[in-house]
Amino acid sequence: MRALIVEDERGMALEMEDFLNKSGYSCELAFTAKQARIMMEDSTFDFILLDLGLPDKDGLAVLEEAKLNCPEASYIIITARGKVEDRINGLNLGADDYLSKPFSLLELQSRMQAITRRKSGLKESRIELGDFTLLLNQRTAKWGEQEIDLSRKEFDLLSYMALHKNRPLTRFQLSEHIWGNLSDDDYDSNFIDVHIKNIRKKMSSYGETEWLQTIRGVGYKIKL
Amino acid sequence: MKLITKLTLFTTISKAVIVLLFVWLLPSMVEGVASDYTNYLLKQQEKKVFVTIQENGIDYYLEGDSSYGSYTMLKEEYISLEQNNHLTMPDTLLTSKRMIEGDTLTYRLLVRNFEYDGKSYILEIGKALASINQYDKPLQRIALSVLLILVLLTLITDLGFTHVVLRPLKRIIRSKLYSPKFPYNEKLEPVATSTSDFSYLDEALINLMHRITADFERERAFTSNASHELMTPMGILQNKMENIMLSTEDRDVLEKVSVMMKTLGRLKKIVNSLLLISRIENNQYARQDTIALAPMISEMMKELEPLMEEKGIRYTTYIPNDIIVKSASKDLLFQLLYNLLTNAIRYNRTGGSIEISGNYSPEEKYVIIIRDTGIGIEAGELPYIFDRFKKTSSSCSSSNGLGLSIVKSIADFHGIEIKVSSVRHHGSSFFVGFPQMMVNLQ
Repeated sequence: MRALIVEDERGMALEMEDFLNKSGYSCELAFTAKQARIMMEDSTFDFILLDLGLPDKDGLAVLEEAKLNCPEASYIIITARGKVEDRINGLNLGADDYLSKPFSLLELQSRMQAITRRKSGLKESRIELGDFTLLLNQRTAKWGEQEIDLSRKEFDLLSYMALHKNRPLTRFQLSEHIWGNLSDDDYDSNFIDVHIKNIRKKMSSYGETEWLQTIRGVGYKIKL
Repeated sequence: MKLITKLTLFTTISKAVIVLLFVWLLPSMVEGVASDYTNYLLKQQEKKVFVTIQENGIDYYLEGDSSYGSYTMLKEEYISLEQNNHLTMPDTLLTSKRMIEGDTLTYRLLVRNFEYDGKSYILEIGKALASINQYDKPLQRIALSVLLILVLLTLITDLGFTHVVLRPLKRIIRSKLYSPKFPYNEKLEPVATSTSDFSYLDEALINLMHRITADFERERAFTSNASHELMTPMGILQNKMENIMLSTEDRDVLEKVSVMMKTLGRLKKIVNSLLLISRIENNQYARQDTIALAPMISEMMKELEPLMEEKGIRYTTYIPNDIIVKSASKDLLFQLLYNLLTNAIRYNRTGGSIEISGNYSPEEKYVIIIRDTGIGIEAGELPYIFDRFKKTSSSCSSSNGLGLSIVKSIADFHGIEIKVSSVRHHGSSFFVGFPQMMVNLQ
């Protein structure tokens, strides 16, 4: 899949590119609205990741123009402004999703995968975890035909880890995905431990959960 | 007490005291004046008598007798002249009783000894005191009524004038101290007054309010801008760390990066909390949601259940299902209650309990009480727990001290009253008071 990263902060653009390349996307970079326009006119993209704070043009105007040039692409707008109106306007202009800086690259990838799943029109996205199956659309975990009673947060956590399987995930990354970034302290990290413990307890009564690994001093990983 | 009331009271009381004092002193003043005037009259009479004696001889009065006496019909005045071979009384002016025709009356007397043709005489001229004092009472009455009328008139004019003079002060107090809500963003109009002291005061207040508002806005802008400016570098750091984690299997590196990420997480949360507070203070949230409290709280408790189970904390909620809060921001209200509830868990003891209840207070507010059995807060620290970055002796080391500041900002934004009571080692109770107009029954 081809992604265009429109971001004036080079440091950030390069990190996004590095990450997305590793995740199997081929990326192009544009640091200004003008460069972005030229690239969009020259080629097509599956994803356009658009920073709204560009130096040479208002981000929302860029989005409007881009939708004309690349109507097929999926758009994720990125902003440091964090204004609710930006988000609403962006989504109204046809953006598929929205991320506030600073964001996690894993979160970005999850959003991109979710958009792909949505657009591919698959009835059900399944993830196999050993003998278990996660049905993402139904938000259920199954062991064979039996449904496992996971809470909403537990399912969120498990599916997020499953989407990033074989990658070490820190408690901070997990708690940020589950609760966003508005809490008083790293107390939520302890919360992650409690949730993981409960997930293990609930799933082990059905089958093996060795794929859910604890990495001491780091966090957790689903190893398959 | 208001200034105008004080001035009115002072003017009225001081005038009343002066009038009463005057009326009380009037008889003795009248007496003094009357007695001086009587003495003068007696002296005039004496002069007349001596002029007559000089011109017509003493026999003009004595007519061959050794004494002469005459009094008016009502005996208010009399004159007596008699030969007096030995001095019975020195020359004097005195008040003394005299008996005339069987009536004893008090007179003001002039006594004068003189010689005529080698013989000694004594002249006595008297004026009855009753005739002098008879006007005391009527005079007092008249003086009192005249003075009362005068006092009333001057009171009315004084108070009217005071009222007019102080009106600008009243307007200054109303327009600068009572009405405006901080921050003072509406235009501050100077009050029209010809009293220079008031215009100085008004001007000084306007300047002060502008300065406070400007400082406050600057601080708000700084918080907001600084937070925004920090977003991008923090984002870059986070993404770099994530890429490092994905490109290595080295446990040592992973561990170090994970610790860095945790620290960055703390930084992010501080900045995000500051931004949230600044957005609330900048009115960037709409208050258009209608929220059923009971489902919101039960959803939250459900989410927090695993944490409570971990610590063996039991909880009970008594919030009626029909309580609806309107004109609020759902996200912010959620955040407010969530922060209070997570604190109730975090600072609770193992095996403790949490009780969430709702009641109408005597002031018609709907109050949600979140009571825990935790470690409590020192009495001396209670007034400061809502201050930004305030860490109490009982705080977690990982707390950034902004959770309760956020609670306070959200509460202020909605006009919700937050109170807290706590006993160290026994627990704390947080009271969230919704104004009457925000609460409805379903």
